[in-house]
Amino acid sequence: MAKNFAMVNKMKKIKVIIIRTAGTNCDYELKSAFELCGATVDRVHINELISSKNKILSYDVLAVPGGFSYGDDIASGKILSNEIKYKLGDNVKKFALSGKPIIGICNGFQILVKMGLLPKPENFEQISTLSYNDSNKFECRWVHLKTEKKNNDRTLCLWTRDLPDVISLPVAHGEGKFVADKKILDDIEKNNQVVFRYCDKNGKDTVYPQDPNGSLNAIAGVCNKKGNVFGLMPHPERYIYALQHPSREGYDGVYGWGKKIFQNAIDYLK
Amino acid sequence: MIFEIEIKTKKGFVDPQGLHTVSDIAGIGIKDISSVDYVAVYRINGNITGKQADVVAKELLSDKITEDYTIKQYNSLDDKKLDKNSIEVWYKHGVTDTVSESVVKAIKDLGIKEDLVVKTGKKYCLKGKNIDDKKLKKIATGLLANTLIQEYLIK
Repeated sequence: MAKNFAMVNKMKKIKVIIIRTAGTNCDYELKSAFELCGATVDRVHINELISSKNKILSYDVLAVPGGFSYGDDIASGKILSNEIKYKLGDNVKKFALSGKPIIGICNGFQILVKMGLLPKPENFEQISTLSYNDSNKFECRWVHLKTEKKNNDRTLCLWTRDLPDVISLPVAHGEGKFVADKKILDDIEKNNQVVFRYCDKNGKDTVYPQDPNGSLNAIAGVCNKKGNVFGLMPHPERYIYALQHPSREGYDGVYGWGKKIFQNAIDYLK
Repeated sequence: MIFEIEIKTKKGFVDPQGLHTVSDIAGIGIKDISSVDYVAVYRINGNITGKQADVVAKELLSDKITEDYTIKQYNSLDDKKLDKNSIEVWYKHGVTDTVSESVVKAIKDLGIKEDLVVKTGKKYCLKGKNIDDKKLKKIATGLLANTLIQEYLIK
């Protein structure tokens, strides 16, 4: 179904929707990143989406940005995840199961996980979480990430195709520790749904502070089994240009590896 | 009816707030507290049923993976009994409790339309040697409560 969807969209301009609410604060960077990749982007307030429930289905890509939705009150992303689930749940699930790309970054990842869209959108029940960092502090720094490529030497996730084995991205979160019970964790590993792991600069296992939160299996990002729904704690939208990297690393002389993530989704739909 | 919903880290999971409170207590010179369990407390006052309170606790206030919840029910706060060796911290009357406003909004998102009053508090359950009122007061006033805007309760 995902492949057919990509063919239908071959000629049209790709439309991205970014959901925002009180406390969202990475929506402008995310919009810029998608626009640089050739998409048309709307930042839409959750209240507008709730009052027009089918609007979300007119878009090709759904993005939930980082920030502190509702002040991170109760727990990070909890209130917005419930709001989306209880008021837009059917259409969000339909969106995910149609094979359209969905990305949740940082607070957006917390929201996708807590509403149950990751790691198993078919069930749409919360089976994992992003809990308090082991340090009990807000952790903010550049970290190295190993791109998992266990699916015939490729990544399962459509968002992370053709990335180097190790990239670096900035993190900024207080609740980023990925937690699930052993069975769920084993399933995620077996299905190659782990997309990024915290690592050292050579791609080897690492410890705090390069692993900023103590995630189980050092998980920094996961996708669903189809590879279209992707969530990660680091911020690719903050690494669009090589100039944003501490060592000015990137590709094509200009771009940061974060851009490649957004470009992958747009190219997939063209 | 008053419900107090307590949220606590499940056994087997790390309770970072509790762990760091132990080291913070050591930092103010009290060395014999061996562990602290941190508990977030939400007091809901209004016309809801026990079943609705359970939905609020399960679907909104606790994390299904890492946290457990307990619901206590009172006709009046005069009926409430404090736990031994615990310190509760609540905002004083008249101080804005911004989290409570978010909780009220989020309860309505669950489809519970009654007008409710919510207060948020924190409970620290201490274990260690020689815990007495003097020590609890020192920990409460020196570390856990900003007494300008918060009150603390000990047994």
